[in-house]
Amino acid sequence: MGTVLKVEGLKKLFGTLEAVKGVSFEVEEGEIFALIGPNGAGKTTTLRVVATLLSASEGKVSVLGYDLKKDPEKIRERISYLPEEAGAYRNLKGMDYLKFMANFYGDTAEKIGQFLTRAQEIADLGGRLGDKVGTYSKGMVRKLLLARALMTRPALSILDEPTSGLDVINSLEVRAIIKRYAAEGISVLLSSHNMLEIEFLSDRVALIDKGRILDSGTPRGLKEKYQAENLESVFRSALR
Amino acid sequence: MKKFRNLLFKEIRELVTVQLIVSLLFMMAIFYFIGGITKREAARAAGKQKVSILDLDGSSFSEKLVGGLQAMNFQVEKLKSASQDEALKTARAGDTNVLVVIPAGFGDAVAKFQTKDIETYTFLRNFSLMGARTSGILKAVITAINTYLSDDFLKRKIEGVDPENLKNPVKSRDFIIIKSRMAEGSAALIAGFVSSQSLIIPVILMMIIIYSSQMVISAIAMEKQNKTLETLLTVPIPRSSIVAAKMLAAGLIGLISAAIYMLGFKNYMSGVTGDMANAPGVAPVVQKLGLTLNANALLVLGVSLFFAILCALSMATILGVLAEDFRSAQSLIMPMIFMVMIPYFITLFTDLKSLSLPVKIFLLAIPFSHPFLATQNIFLENYKAVFFGIVYMAAFFAVMVVIASRIFSTDRVLTMKLRWRKKKVVF
Repeated sequence: MGTVLKVEGLKKLFGTLEAVKGVSFEVEEGEIFALIGPNGAGKTTTLRVVATLLSASEGKVSVLGYDLKKDPEKIRERISYLPEEAGAYRNLKGMDYLKFMANFYGDTAEKIGQFLTRAQEIADLGGRLGDKVGTYSKGMVRKLLLARALMTRPALSILDEPTSGLDVINSLEVRAIIKRYAAEGISVLLSSHNMLEIEFLSDRVALIDKGRILDSGTPRGLKEKYQAENLESVFRSALR
Repeated sequence: MKKFRNLLFKEIRELVTVQLIVSLLFMMAIFYFIGGITKREAARAAGKQKVSILDLDGSSFSEKLVGGLQAMNFQVEKLKSASQDEALKTARAGDTNVLVVIPAGFGDAVAKFQTKDIETYTFLRNFSLMGARTSGILKAVITAINTYLSDDFLKRKIEGVDPENLKNPVKSRDFIIIKSRMAEGSAALIAGFVSSQSLIIPVILMMIIIYSSQMVISAIAMEKQNKTLETLLTVPIPRSSIVAAKMLAAGLIGLISAAIYMLGFKNYMSGVTGDMANAPGVAPVVQKLGLTLNANALLVLGVSLFFAILCALSMATILGVLAEDFRSAQSLIMPMIFMVMIPYFITLFTDLKSLSLPVKIFLLAIPFSHPFLATQNIFLENYKAVFFGIVYMAAFFAVMVVIASRIFSTDRVLTMKLRWRKKKVVF
């Protein structure tokens, strides 16, 4: 198993505000790595830097050996990003949206066809893929976007609150999909407020607060270390 | 290229909505409808004008006068009413706009070379542009009566001499000079024709600029509002391609929309102004003075318009980044509208040479001033000014594209916004 993502001493400043203060972590191939922390902890900013949306003020980020500053294009070919409040083009039909996105990653019709078959299976929206996205419920849009993020089998999938706004049933389905694709070799970097979700999904977890990683490890290892019943208690203990 | 095409088609699909198609078709229908009405009204106003006459004199001279009016292309309706009140009642109920009452003793007074009042009544039945034109009939009737009477006086007093020669002993031959070209004709007529013809170019430009700019600003704002921009920025395609696809799609749709609008507008305008080119003495003079746009001039003008559109699109891209959502995008179009309106009105009402240096610099610094001035400069063979304008716009566009590309390739595409309450740009 090789390292897919390496983040070293990452700092991000917005004017004088230091949102991320020297974060370091690694994500291995097929691993689900989660950042957990309160609002404003720096989770989304870290994810956005890795997704090439924001530039790092300091530190080094590399994906499969490609440096974020030097080769953002190469990195974009190998990652997918699902923002927390993402949307899809309302005037496009679900299938057309998937085709539009697949065309950026596939060189041949055959490859694009494979992506779309996979996307249809993940989204599980049946005939509704022929309808305009504007007519979808929030859950349907989220599943469509997750299908978009995973259909190309990227080396690294960055998922910000993947089950945000979903009901229990849809959340369970989405977690199962993420778990299955990670088992097939996709690395996942995700963030969530839902500690139960993190415990179920993640191989390793980093506890982040005020732009700093407080601790990291497997959910089981962290619970043992802090002698806590769940990750919420772990986080509370780590804060002290 | 395949990825760019993919992006471009998406942008076009996003822009071509049912609402856009319906609004374009609706505007076309409105223009054609109004154009049809104005054309009919203009034809009616230009045709034979109906004049009602109550002849209380009944002399042979008043008979001749009525005949003279008929010869001068008036459709004369003689009222048989016994009194003036009755005639007014009849005329009011009819469709005539002017009633002329020839008083009793009119023929006798004329025979003695005395002036005699005739009474005229104008019925203002509406206040539209065409309605106002019909009130001019009265003036034409009085002029026609005076011409007839004065010619008759002169013929009786001085036999064998053309009354026209006595009334206007000096005849003028009018020549118009533009640079090295000269032609005989009426300066007022030619100036009117040229300004009516070149009016359409700034209107086209204004529509394309405002339309395309609004599309670009809204497209970027909608990406932000619908939270699709972040995803788009992480797909493997150069950021410059994202900017270019948005600009190109908006430019294409803007051009097509403007063309459709202009077809309707042209139809409407031809109804209002009529076919001036066919007015006697216009076409050959215009040709001789070089006031027509030949293929080369059209090409230069096209290049000037093209660069103005590019400038607008690049500026709109930057403004679009400042918008947080679709609503704020609507306000951000305002600076663009002002930048188009200022040179449009200044060039419409004044001559650039008569302006003070600071105003001149201000005007020339606005890229959209150059295509507005281009038609005039081409007619006046001032090609240097046209080429300066094109070079300036190309440089302006290049700077804007560099700024837009830099914004899109940095965090600013997500973090830059205009805070209206504090009225400042936040990076």
